[in-house]
Amino acid sequence: MTALDEVNMDNEVSMNKGIWIEGPVKKGILEFFSGLLSSKKVEAVLMPAKNKSKDSYAWFLMGKDGLLESAEPFPPVMTTQGARALSYLTKKGTAWKKTAVVLRPCELRATIELAKIKQVDLNNLVLISFDCPGAYPLEKYFNEDQKELDEIFGACLSEQVELEGARAVCSICHRFTGRGADIEIGLMGGEAKGFWLIPGSGNGEELLEGVSGSKPDNLEAREKKIAEATIQREEKRNNTLDSFRETVMGPENLMNTLSSCINCHNCSRVCPICFCRECYFDSKALSSEADNMLQRAQRKHGLRLPPDLLLFHLGRMTHMSISCVSCGACEDACPANVPVSMLFSLAGRNTQAVFEYEPGRSIEEPVPYKVFRFEELKDFETPYTKEYAKEQ
Amino acid sequence: MADNGMEPKIVAFLCNWCTFTAADLAGTSRLKYEPNVRIIKVMCSSRVDPVFILKALLDGADGVLIGGCAPGDCHYSKGNFYARRKVALAKKLAESMGLDSKRIRLSWIPASEGPLFARVVNEFTESIKQLGDNPTKREVYI
Repeated sequence: MTALDEVNMDNEVSMNKGIWIEGPVKKGILEFFSGLLSSKKVEAVLMPAKNKSKDSYAWFLMGKDGLLESAEPFPPVMTTQGARALSYLTKKGTAWKKTAVVLRPCELRATIELAKIKQVDLNNLVLISFDCPGAYPLEKYFNEDQKELDEIFGACLSEQVELEGARAVCSICHRFTGRGADIEIGLMGGEAKGFWLIPGSGNGEELLEGVSGSKPDNLEAREKKIAEATIQREEKRNNTLDSFRETVMGPENLMNTLSSCINCHNCSRVCPICFCRECYFDSKALSSEADNMLQRAQRKHGLRLPPDLLLFHLGRMTHMSISCVSCGACEDACPANVPVSMLFSLAGRNTQAVFEYEPGRSIEEPVPYKVFRFEELKDFETPYTKEYAKEQ
Repeated sequence: MADNGMEPKIVAFLCNWCTFTAADLAGTSRLKYEPNVRIIKVMCSSRVDPVFILKALLDGADGVLIGGCAPGDCHYSKGNFYARRKVALAKKLAESMGLDSKRIRLSWIPASEGPLFARVVNEFTESIKQLGDNPTKREVYI
């Protein structure tokens, strides 16, 4: 694909169907999966589960008689980014058994981005996502009373309020529903305890066939609530990022923000979008002889080593910001408390706006680097030829 | 011409087929233009990764010029369209982070237009002189 002009971006699926399942959410979900597995509609499920030591979560591929009991479809923290976990499954080709995957909305968006760059193969996968209240910072979860945090998270999940103490990037998330998944687990806008299973594609519809539940007509109320919350969150996101920008503007502020960086490159290692086998910034491309460093030091009257700290962060932004889904994995992994997730979200918001691109919105929407329009981006070139031609 | 005594350093990434040839033509035609550009020849303007632009700016270049074939005339038929997207991204990113995006310029200069090349260089040098020194130049921490 080259020129963008012919691509059709309409990917709306009608949202008027949904199966309401009454009862405790987690129990209901696990029963649903257990039903899918025993009826062989899917043969494996990939979702987070409690670790053996029960103090954290990890991703597990599970079958019918496996780990399903300890599974946790809605973990209060994001340990490994789900899209990254999923890419380990299908990087080298299609999963040959139908596999259901439960993802947070940001993980879902990252999955779609990875599918565009061929790091995830969506064939034979059923993507399932849910209304996410946010996630705790990993550090907080490890250091505070986990039982209490779990309880608060559970309450926020069923009542669909924003999670208190969530990561900064979660508190400004404006794409918090599972829209775009094959099956959307709807928690928001429900009246009593329970949840909807809403198909988002033909694939999802197939799986939901035969699932019993009541079919309430108040999905409209849900839509309305989501639309209202989205507007609110969008405003909050823009305001927060704008005021954040004030604090990082310019080389000096930017360096102050990043000065505690220890050059570990964890942010790139855990980033679902950073998929390169060998990162440019880890390669030898940027290393140079002592002579070069000494000259730079002489010119600037000093040089911080390792060098090119700002280049690493800004350069990485040029590579990933266009697909940044604001999942916050980078900040969870940062040992030096650099507000990287806000920084990357800010860069992402601005660069995505140039191409009117939203990562994870649709699999049909190509990554902006790979396509172009013949007439576009006139503000970014310096039109000179025409005037010059007139004079000649 | 604003004369603040500054001699800016400008890194120019020029495509082999059009802009570099135009620069060559400007030279062989004995056209005089500002001596501030340091030319790096690339096979196509789309070879210029935004990282190159940022690397130049953060290492103390006062301006970065990217020159390619006019849209529609690319030797590889569509390279310059990709280049435009990359430069747009670099400029937007620089702007978002408070670096001056006016220090980055993308211009299309066909191979036969030596005088146009000279003019673009003069004009860009002039505008960089007005902007003054790149603040990253002496920043120890960068």
